[in-house]
Amino acid sequence: MKKILLSAGIAVVVASCTSDITSLNGNPKAPEQVPAGALIANATVSLTDYMASISVNLNNFNLWAQHFTETTYTDEANFDYANRDVNGNTYDELYTNVLRDLKEAEKAVEADASLLASHKEQQLAVIDVLEVYTYHTLVDIFGDVPYSEALSAETVVPQYDRASVIYADLAARLKADIAVLGGDNGLGSYDLLYGGNADGWKKFASSLLLRLAVRVADVDAASATDWGTYAITAGVILTPGDDAKLDYASAPPHANPLWDQFVESGRSDFIAANTLGDVMNTLNDPRRSLYFRNNDANGDVVGAPYGLASAYPLFSQPSNLLEDPTLPHKLLDHVEVHFLLADAASRGFTIPGATAQGLYEAAVTASILSWGGSAGDAATYLAETGVVWNAADWRDLIGTQKWISLFTRGNEAWAAQRQYDLAMNVAAEAGRVTPKRMSYGVDEYALNNANVTAAGAFYNNDSDTAPIFWDAQ
Amino acid sequence: MKRRASFLAFVAAALLSVSAFAQRTVSGTVTDAANGEGLPSVSVRVKGTNNAAVTNFDGKYSITAGQNAVLVFSALGYSSQEVNASGAVVNVSLSESTSKLDEVVVTALGITRDKKTVGYAVQEVGGAEVTKVKDANFMASLSGKVAGVTIRQSGTMGGSSNVVVRGYKSLTGNNQALFVVDGIPISNDAYNTGNQRTGRGGYDYGNAAMDVNPEDIDKITVLKGAAATALYGSRAANGVVLITTKKGAARKGLGVTLSSGVTVGSINPDTFVRYQKSYGPGYGSYYGNTDTINGYYTDYRMYDYDYDGDGNVDMVTPMEEDASFGMKFDPNLNVYTWESVYEGLPGYGQKFPFVAGANDPTTFWENSTTFNNSVAIDGGSDNGSFRMSATKFDMKGIQPNSSLNRNSFNFNGNLKASNRLTVSTMAAFTQQKGRGRSGTGYDARNVNQSFRQWFNVGADMAKLKEYYELTGRNITWNPYGPLYDNPQQPHYFDNPYFMVNESYQNDERNRLMGNMTANYRLNDWLDLTARANIDTYTDVQEERLAVGSVDVPSYVRRNRNFTETNLDLILTANKMIGEDINFNGNLGSNIRRTYYDFIGAGTNGGLVVPGVYSLSNSVSAPAAPSEQNFAIGIDGYFARASFLYKNYLSLDLTGRYDISSTLPAANNKYFYPSASVGLIFSELMDLDGISFGKVRANYANVGADAPASSLRDIYVMGTPFNGTPLASAPSTSNNPSLLPETTTSYEAGLEMQFADNRFGFDLTAYRAISQNQIMPARVSSSTGTIFKYVNAGVIQNQGVELVLNASAIRTKDMGLDFALTYTRNRNEVLELFGDAESLQLTSNQGGFQLLAKIGEPYGTIFGVAHERDANGLPIVYPINASRGYRYLRTATPQTIGNVNPDWMGGLNTSFRYKRLTANVLLDMQMGGSFFSLDTWYGYATGIYDWSAGENDKGVERREMVIDGGGVNMGDVAVWDGSSVDEDGNPITSANTEAIYGDMNYYGNSFGYARAPQEYHVWDASFIKLREVAINYSFPMDKNSSIKGFDVSLVGRNLAILWKNAPYTDPEAGLSAGNLQGYQSGAYPAVREIGLNAKLKF
Repeated sequence: MKKILLSAGIAVVVASCTSDITSLNGNPKAPEQVPAGALIANATVSLTDYMASISVNLNNFNLWAQHFTETTYTDEANFDYANRDVNGNTYDELYTNVLRDLKEAEKAVEADASLLASHKEQQLAVIDVLEVYTYHTLVDIFGDVPYSEALSAETVVPQYDRASVIYADLAARLKADIAVLGGDNGLGSYDLLYGGNADGWKKFASSLLLRLAVRVADVDAASATDWGTYAITAGVILTPGDDAKLDYASAPPHANPLWDQFVESGRSDFIAANTLGDVMNTLNDPRRSLYFRNNDANGDVVGAPYGLASAYPLFSQPSNLLEDPTLPHKLLDHVEVHFLLADAASRGFTIPGATAQGLYEAAVTASILSWGGSAGDAATYLAETGVVWNAADWRDLIGTQKWISLFTRGNEAWAAQRQYDLAMNVAAEAGRVTPKRMSYGVDEYALNNANVTAAGAFYNNDSDTAPIFWDAQ
Repeated sequence: MKRRASFLAFVAAALLSVSAFAQRTVSGTVTDAANGEGLPSVSVRVKGTNNAAVTNFDGKYSITAGQNAVLVFSALGYSSQEVNASGAVVNVSLSESTSKLDEVVVTALGITRDKKTVGYAVQEVGGAEVTKVKDANFMASLSGKVAGVTIRQSGTMGGSSNVVVRGYKSLTGNNQALFVVDGIPISNDAYNTGNQRTGRGGYDYGNAAMDVNPEDIDKITVLKGAAATALYGSRAANGVVLITTKKGAARKGLGVTLSSGVTVGSINPDTFVRYQKSYGPGYGSYYGNTDTINGYYTDYRMYDYDYDGDGNVDMVTPMEEDASFGMKFDPNLNVYTWESVYEGLPGYGQKFPFVAGANDPTTFWENSTTFNNSVAIDGGSDNGSFRMSATKFDMKGIQPNSSLNRNSFNFNGNLKASNRLTVSTMAAFTQQKGRGRSGTGYDARNVNQSFRQWFNVGADMAKLKEYYELTGRNITWNPYGPLYDNPQQPHYFDNPYFMVNESYQNDERNRLMGNMTANYRLNDWLDLTARANIDTYTDVQEERLAVGSVDVPSYVRRNRNFTETNLDLILTANKMIGEDINFNGNLGSNIRRTYYDFIGAGTNGGLVVPGVYSLSNSVSAPAAPSEQNFAIGIDGYFARASFLYKNYLSLDLTGRYDISSTLPAANNKYFYPSASVGLIFSELMDLDGISFGKVRANYANVGADAPASSLRDIYVMGTPFNGTPLASAPSTSNNPSLLPETTTSYEAGLEMQFADNRFGFDLTAYRAISQNQIMPARVSSSTGTIFKYVNAGVIQNQGVELVLNASAIRTKDMGLDFALTYTRNRNEVLELFGDAESLQLTSNQGGFQLLAKIGEPYGTIFGVAHERDANGLPIVYPINASRGYRYLRTATPQTIGNVNPDWMGGLNTSFRYKRLTANVLLDMQMGGSFFSLDTWYGYATGIYDWSAGENDKGVERREMVIDGGGVNMGDVAVWDGSSVDEDGNPITSANTEAIYGDMNYYGNSFGYARAPQEYHVWDASFIKLREVAINYSFPMDKNSSIKGFDVSLVGRNLAILWKNAPYTDPEAGLSAGNLQGYQSGAYPAVREIGLNAKLKF
């Protein structure tokens, strides 16, 4: 009997000798808190990677802009983005890899009691500018997207906000940021765009506001004037030194995404599209050899018919410049700003000390110089028929030149195409020109059905031929 | 804690308050009724007690028993007997069992029970069944033998087996059965990467339970329902596979068993590609600029390029392309091919006749060989016994440079240390080494990615082999070619011989599984057992990609340590209550701790020095290694009470209380009850012709905890950007308020035997509902996270299992028996998280999605479907006269298949004539489907034989439809491409004449570029000739030192007698886990034929 009681006793002792069993459940290999700067830096890299990407799974807009076309597998050039869920991947990338980290950074900044008040204010503004840039990118792709209820712990089915309403809020946020930005933001090397200099961020924010202003100018002149005036007064990016750009690393995983596709993959998927090639040939564009190699004996781009399967060696290919892993990607630069100012001036906007023609010519020259061309090339080019300034034809001239200058910046080049109604080729297999927006991804229909269906209703049943609000057709 | 202690003490005391009887010694001899010889190893037990003895080598026993004791004699393979022990000597003779009903079965926690009394379905498989035809993974040999269990094999050497009992119960968690060896729950983790499981590439390393050496398995018991497994607590929901290892027994001297086997395998050509041999490389007609070169019409399918610089254009194949929609082969044409571009090779700068490769990829596969040698020694006396064994398993796979070696050592021993104390131990050490395992999925390291999807049929395997062996370099059929700056550089695909010989992987796992058990007899009806179990291993995986490959050269290594310990303390009571009721029960505790530690790292940007595979040989600085470290603890307390009334009515009650470390403190304690009843009605009434009849029913409620570390949110550190640290929120949000998930199950069964057990059946019907599931639910990424841990989701499984047995012939010299198993499970997803109608389990290449969709069985295949007319016919519409028709695809993805079979069955026929036995096992599955990325791409690259040759009009399929070519699309509905009704639906008509789709370039009507995914969803049904075994047992002289000599000829996976899926084994897949129904670079099935010999001394 004693033995048995003893045994039973042992059983209980053995069973109860662990203290708090839940203490086993920790995760010693992952932090629960990180510096805000590391989150901001990560969001910056993710955002720029997305913008610079030419991966068929993530960003098809270098194709949609009809700068490039595909050799064998021509689905994406023919606007089949659903097959690879490019629309869904865009949400995943921008919401969870960019906006979420920015939101976490915001929380970390707010919670950091040791942070100087001035640095806190600057860092929150930096975070905000990046958020605005990201939402503006989303709106330009899809139109209405989740905004006011996005990234909230409150709901797993965020409602969609109207694109124009989001734009207005983004502009208001930028104004507030511009009012705050300046001096040292305390981020130091975590600030991958400006190295801790908030003056640079102020110019970036103003330039972004100017971009929004010009974007809505065809449908909402009042807002365009308001935002544009505010931006220009605050000071925009006018020199290469102020460009919002990310200098990529020489090795993966932080090499320029173009290098991943053009060099590391060993594939030969992308060649010059005849759409861009033919325009550049007609204009005798000096950037032809800077953009492409394997041009013909006359230096002409041999562009493949857009969307048609074509053999790589028979056409012009991405130039060697694009094969540099450290090639910077520009989120917004002085070339674009000059085109924005030229557009504004053409609409009658007063730009102190400048004319529409002067700004246009400065923009074209800046583009040629930024790709490694010479001032002489630029001067010759500006005299070419189809390039030479003609105020009556400002939309077409600025649009075409801006579209050409935005090589490797597919999102903006596609936006230029839409805003200036540039003539595009009919894709060979799809039998249609570039869509005006992207339809929402299947995941949204599976996970947020009521909201996405309601949003799709504004776009002719989520059609990708329906324009978004700033695209006046 | 205190309260439980006093409860336990109380119960112990209560149980002890009844005490002893007058004792005496009973002895005797047990003989075999067939020949009168003494039978060793017979269990002799005093009924209603734990008091037991075992007969020695001569069949003699001795046991203490009370005055009116009843002795129960039982032995494996013999009918048990109960005898009143009125005298001091009780002699018994046992007859061989004609049915398995009298057997003792092992149940949860290793508790043995009379099978006929348990109230739930239990099915056993003898060790001979899994060693008859040796497979690297013993789980594969259970296929077709156990009702209610679905076993799927990936089809690669040493690959994993998916073992799911009674359907998928967890939406995103583990659905694999728990494996328990001699009471030791063992890890069955499959350490395959997420990329591997989703078809993005990687190796299938098998699952860890395959470390169990089949040679040491005595028997396997499958506990299917929750009532049978409830004592295992949190882990029980998915069923349990109990493995009992061979033990020694009392005998004269030492027994030595030598067993040796050799198996040779070769691919089953029914499961591989048959290639067209008429058309060369290219995707279509866009390579040339002129129609003719030197008078030949090239249709733009060949480059016109002055390769030799003589001023005339030459014909150069588009060798950089990985498709076969090129120009028609013509041996009279001399062209520049891939063989022409490699400097230093004899073909450099030479033209070659334009012909198909003489040796297609079928010739790449070698014969596999397996050698299995084992030696076992056993011995014992009245006081104890032991068995030790060593087994060497050496396998060479069908892929060149592949091997799997396993050395297993096993020791089992027990000692009767005193009248009351028995100690025993089991230790199994396994060392497994793999090398050159098969790459899987859409990856260069899977040669089938090319062989099945992207290939130039002009490539000759023999030459690729020769050139690789000559140079050691990646001389591939797919170089860029002379029109590029780097003509010799590989473009998309490597030389497969270079790949498998240079970019091989290797792995090693050293594992110890063991236990120490002490059993103390407190009195004649109460035992206390203390048992310590351990399962621990280290595991290393190394993966290489050689310099010179298409992909960036790399080296990856992963190291793991895993340890699980279980401490069990179990009080066992066995007592008669009055005359008629036998009580049998346990009270116990189980303390489980699992520790897992992982570190994995890889090079970055390439390898500096070719052939050196080390992390320091990285071109760029390697990213920080990835580390994982977690611990899981469960403290469980359990009780079981079984009552048996007069041998025909049984009632079992169990309860288990678990405290888990992975749930929040407020929610981490939970209780699982189960109850089962069994009634042997044939004991109550005398029914003509019915030899046995039993009904049973049970109920159970078991639960499961969360994965480790899923409560608190963490951040992920990235690779620094030019020295700047990066951090991000992970894609899965954790949840600090998770609750345990639960599975409630009901089961009823009827078991009957007729005509002296000549035929009978065991029928089970069950239903299980799993709810409150812990899962990372996919949410809209606009919430900022992709997955969020929640408690949600309900899945129901219900089904029927049937085991039928029949003896057609049963004489002394001859026997013919049939055993049939039938499994039918109906699974339905009832609820998901929030408003979600479906949960995406995976989204793979090719637009394949696997969903859990409300109202459908778990494992819905989702993709773009055929738009169909009212009669269900696919709608086609004309493209143009030359290309004919295309299928109309739905605008959005739809349900296009489901991985769950309608039913599965196995038919085992065994024939015995004197000393010769023969077994034939047919294994079948009806229904279920899978998506093939292989045909999805392969039909667009023109490599399969059906894409060439004449169509039903006698015209080459490759000709334009307008010229009579193309492929007949069969019964379709025809749409003009524009007419729609008021709802916008196409107005169609049935086809009155044959409709043709083009088969002229990669954008043809049938490949991935134009056909819907549904076109590439195939029926997974099959009937396989799974096993054939013929055994001859030589007659032995009684006085010979050789006690037995058996020789057997065996065959495994000999033929697929019927299937609907072309060019593949419908069973092939990626690896074990929840993601099934997808073939990408599937391996061909291997037919194996072997010879085994077994010698006993």
